[in-house]
Amino acid sequence: MAKILIVDDAAFMRMNLKNILENNGHEIVDEAANGKIGFESYQKHGADLVTMDITMPEMDGIEAVKKIMEFDSDAKVIMCSAMGQQSLVIEAIEAGAKDFIVKPFNKKRIKEAIDKII
Amino acid sequence: MSDNNEYLDMFFAESEEYIMVLNDNILKLENNPEDKEVVASLFRAAHSLKGMSATMRFDVLTELTHKIENLMDKVRNNKIDVTTEIIDLLFEGIDYIEEIVKQIKDEGTDDFNLEVYLHKLENNIEEGKAHKETSNQDIENNNDNFDSKRLTLNEVEKNNIQENKKELDTVYAVNAELDKVTEFKQVRASMVLKEAKEMGYIFKSDPDIKSVDEAEIEEDVVKMILISNENREDIVNNLSNITDVVAINITAMDIESTDKNMKSDNEKQKAKNEDSSSSKFAVSSTVRVGIKKLDKLMNMIGELLINKTRLEALNINSEGFKDILPQLDRVTMELHHTVMQIRMEPIGVMFNRFPRMVRDLSKDSQKEIDFLIKGKETELDRSIIDELGDPLTHLLRNAVDHGIEKPETRVKKGKDKTGKIKLKAYQKGSEIIIEVEDDGSGINIDKLTAKAVEKELITQKELEEMDREKKLQLIFEPGLSTTDQVSNVSGRGVGMDVVKRTIKSLDGDVYIKSEKEEGTKIVISLPLTLAIQDALMVKIDEEVFAIPLNAISETLKIKSKEIRQVKGNDVIVLRNETIPLIDSRKSLNIEVGDNNYTEQEEMSVVIVKSSGKEVGLIVNELLYQQEIVIKSLSDYLGNVKNISGATIIGDGEVALILDVRDIA
Repeated sequence: MAKILIVDDAAFMRMNLKNILENNGHEIVDEAANGKIGFESYQKHGADLVTMDITMPEMDGIEAVKKIMEFDSDAKVIMCSAMGQQSLVIEAIEAGAKDFIVKPFNKKRIKEAIDKII
Repeated sequence: MSDNNEYLDMFFAESEEYIMVLNDNILKLENNPEDKEVVASLFRAAHSLKGMSATMRFDVLTELTHKIENLMDKVRNNKIDVTTEIIDLLFEGIDYIEEIVKQIKDEGTDDFNLEVYLHKLENNIEEGKAHKETSNQDIENNNDNFDSKRLTLNEVEKNNIQENKKELDTVYAVNAELDKVTEFKQVRASMVLKEAKEMGYIFKSDPDIKSVDEAEIEEDVVKMILISNENREDIVNNLSNITDVVAINITAMDIESTDKNMKSDNEKQKAKNEDSSSSKFAVSSTVRVGIKKLDKLMNMIGELLINKTRLEALNINSEGFKDILPQLDRVTMELHHTVMQIRMEPIGVMFNRFPRMVRDLSKDSQKEIDFLIKGKETELDRSIIDELGDPLTHLLRNAVDHGIEKPETRVKKGKDKTGKIKLKAYQKGSEIIIEVEDDGSGINIDKLTAKAVEKELITQKELEEMDREKKLQLIFEPGLSTTDQVSNVSGRGVGMDVVKRTIKSLDGDVYIKSEKEEGTKIVISLPLTLAIQDALMVKIDEEVFAIPLNAISETLKIKSKEIRQVKGNDVIVLRNETIPLIDSRKSLNIEVGDNNYTEQEEMSVVIVKSSGKEVGLIVNELLYQQEIVIKSLSDYLGNVKNISGATIIGDGEVALILDVRDIA
């Protein structure tokens, strides 16, 4: 079981992810609608794992990963990406993200990815 | 906007090069489908073209090249077999690229409907893939062919590693297999490479670490050569920890050089390595210059030369002046020579387009042809090379269409069923010779002469006086084509007469040799360069004329009693060859009156060669040899018979240049 922070600007996606993760026995410590709020939340509450969307208003996922890694070099971030964002994902990984999952979400693959990291 | 134009110029120049590379390599691929080097060059060329087109925002071209690059990538990764269909498809694609580039040039847009072709391409890729995949699986189930699939090192690379690796380092060949269902394979690949990089140094990898985000990875394997001091287990553990990595294959490589000599050559190799690696980053040491700028430079050197000649003619009697003259002479000569060198290009740049053409033509006409090119490296003035494209195209088309027979016909004639066409270039003195030779049916001389008479190009009487050689040359007369049917291969209106006209406009010459049933050979001779030439100055009547040195085979003095008569014409016999004599004054319409040369006891003769024959030109006096700057006669004078141009001589006077080809 892990404490997870979900960062995504789409409420639908947050809900979707939250259901999957909770079904796997994880606890959602917070939800954030953009990178800036996500980073602030991480500073405040911390988390075992962060799921990070890439394209978001205010502060995008890549910027947020950088901030989080700066703040906590042991942070574990998984990127949530969509088709066509390959190079952005690579950038995020360069910045320190541990893995990525691809939308639309596949329950099994999300479980695998999270189990591997935690 | 001018900036953009500069980009465009560069774009055109470079895309032409890449198109050539593509054509060239597809031909090679057809002959040797397994050659990975060729596939790699094809891939790179397509990739570079794609990059250029994308930068210029030519979307259609970008898509097309992208698809071709994709296809090559699949071939490279053994996903697709190289079949005839693939080759044809590739050729078709290159044609489209060429056409689109041309359209961009003409109309400024790459708007082009490629749907049908792209669709075909797509289908073929899928089909080829499906086919290959099933066959691949069979192999894999039977044996573990990891060895053949991992990256390898060549001797140079081995040496390079040996010199740079640390003592505790091991060189591993690592293949990380990804799950078949992996999404974002290139991201996974980059993760694998990133992880590997943390454990050591990646000497090379496929996909390449620098371009992994652009690469489209269809393969499920990330291959690399990793130099690391970690042990094997740790590497395997770390890499298999990455999501979607299902298997790691790893072997320590033996990098001891197999070739003992390599070690003694180490220094050399090292230098070479440094060379090749630095060339990646260093600015290229060549510069592209517009041909117009070179023309201008050449012109100015011409002017300089004229003034130098005039200076020499002043004959000033001063120490300093006499010191400076040879200096000036040397500098102008070198300047001229250098610019000439700059203008020279290997004729291969033009020859390269022909293998493809001959292949297509022979396929269309169902003939089997071996096409041989020799002397690609022969250098010729760029402006001449440009002009030669069309005439050579025509000659080669003729050779395929009218020369080489169909395989069954050839067999009947007792020839090898595969015909041969040879394209050859070489330098001979100050001339470049280009030959187009086929071993086909040869020219039907009776048919040719009959047609010439019918078209009233010559009279029956003239015909009777002609020898075989001369009759053959009739083929260069306008309106003569020996085949009655016009095929879609040759006979497109560009006739042999146009070939001759083009070659002559380049101050060159062309003649034909042909034996029935044995073949035809067309020989083109061209001056090394235009504009400046060495010439022999002669006096005819009271005027000074220049005869280009490349047309002269020798000069001699003869006595009038050496003159013989053949069929009422004056000739001399020189080393058992009968050479006709021509009075240059008559050729130039100078009043001769009673002053016939035979009256003189001794006379000067310039033996000039033309169309493979020699003719003796009688002149009044041989003067001196000089570099001349050739100036064309202005347009309003038109084509003056027997004169090819003019030049300025020392005293500032104009001297006319004899067109010995006309005269002979």
